[in-house]
Amino acid sequence: MIDYVPGKTAWYEENQPREGKAVDEIWIGDVAGSEVPTCSLTETIGDIRRRTQGWDTCVVVDPRGVVLGLLRKKELESDANATAEQVMRPGPKTFRPNVTLQELLKSMRDHEIQTNSLVTTGEGRLLGVISRADAEATLIHENAAQGAG
Amino acid sequence: MSAKVFSVSEVKQLLEQGAQLLDVLAADEFEHDHLPGAINIPLKLLDATTAARLDRNRPVLVYCNDFG
Repeated sequence: MIDYVPGKTAWYEENQPREGKAVDEIWIGDVAGSEVPTCSLTETIGDIRRRTQGWDTCVVVDPRGVVLGLLRKKELESDANATAEQVMRPGPKTFRPNVTLQELLKSMRDHEIQTNSLVTTGEGRLLGVISRADAEATLIHENAAQGAG
Repeated sequence: MSAKVFSVSEVKQLLEQGAQLLDVLAADEFEHDHLPGAINIPLKLLDATTAARLDRNRPVLVYCNDFG
């Protein structure tokens, strides 16, 4: 007999699959996009800006992919010689992948978050991002599909 | 009965090797969500009779909600 002490919460926080009625729910780990650019603490804003053209977000991570900070448009447009560490927004708000889309949207509305939200494992490793616009659109689409079904 | 603590990656490895998953949460919680392939025997109902559903020749991974 093996006691899996971290339990199912830790399993879901690693974005692992589930069975049961919850399969019909949209968890943000199901829909978060993983293509978001990342950078290290020591990379300069100039280098990051060249590498992330077209993006208004870059996530600062450690070598294991754990989120350390966030660069938004304002930081990405700052001094090209500054390092990510010097200008980043440290400790950004993150969400676990087993949060439902409805719960995420409620939190985004309550905290007036209009941009991307970060999705991480329980240990803080970046899984992806989801924008408020994408979250709203996905929920509208899902509700319409359920209404039609 | 000895108990040993495993991580998510170790659990996946054990499942690939044929281990069984035993969910000891209440039936309604199990119906809502559970780990793929898990068998549900709520802790209050777990005894020699209900445990007979398990294969005695394969390791059993027991889980509940989270730590504690």
